[in-house]
Amino acid sequence: MSDLAGTQESLEATLKDEIIRMYEEVADHPEGEFHFYHGREAADLFEYPAEWLDRAPPGAVVSFAGVGNPHVRSRAQPGETVLDLGSGAGLDAIIASWAVGPAGRVIGVDLNPGMCRKAQAHAALTGTRLECHEGRMEQIPLPDAQVDLVISNGVINLSFRKRKVFEEMFRVLKPGGRMSIVDIVSAKQLSQSIVNDPKLWAS
Amino acid sequence: MFRLLEETGFRRVRSAVVPRFRFRKASTQNSAEAYGVKAVMLTAERPAAPGG
Repeated sequence: MSDLAGTQESLEATLKDEIIRMYEEVADHPEGEFHFYHGREAADLFEYPAEWLDRAPPGAVVSFAGVGNPHVRSRAQPGETVLDLGSGAGLDAIIASWAVGPAGRVIGVDLNPGMCRKAQAHAALTGTRLECHEGRMEQIPLPDAQVDLVISNGVINLSFRKRKVFEEMFRVLKPGGRMSIVDIVSAKQLSQSIVNDPKLWAS
Repeated sequence: MFRLLEETGFRRVRSAVVPRFRFRKASTQNSAEAYGVKAVMLTAERPAAPGG
């Protein structure tokens, strides 16, 4: 059991590095070729309204690497507190901030402190304030029952411990709070070679 | 994920496939289809009252 736990820890550490590397590559070299759509092309594909993408800072749009649009069903309301898990360069968090307005609060959590700084800088360009904390979705750096709405876009699939991620989402939500996430699922069990390869898992 | 959400305590779990999701590279998309990989939207609520 301790060998298995140690192996998983080692894989998670490597996966963390690979995730950070991959998303930094998207942000720093958006002209690059990736397995997935990204940037404005991806946002258009997932039907983000053009007026959102025109209003958001270009740096946030070009770094977008989501797999859908969590705002379609999020029902974010003025004054609410929203948590964006895996906030990246901040596009979804910024969009949420427009919905909750100045009386609301948007909190990002990301593995990469550099991404947090970028997201906050992008938010500031739109005149909104975004809090961003470095952290893991398996250990969300927030107290219990703080949040009205959790959004996430294509990040939970990267975790080996999805049950823990959902437990943490539940914990930080207020009673009566809700989540609206978009993510990748597979109908079949992935092969062990994929599970054990952080590069394949992250992509 | 649906089952995990309910086991965690979430209620009113709803899902819908993201119809336009696909990978950019054809080889990746082909592999994804072999595993039935797709993107889904999930919404759920934490009950308002304990055990609700």
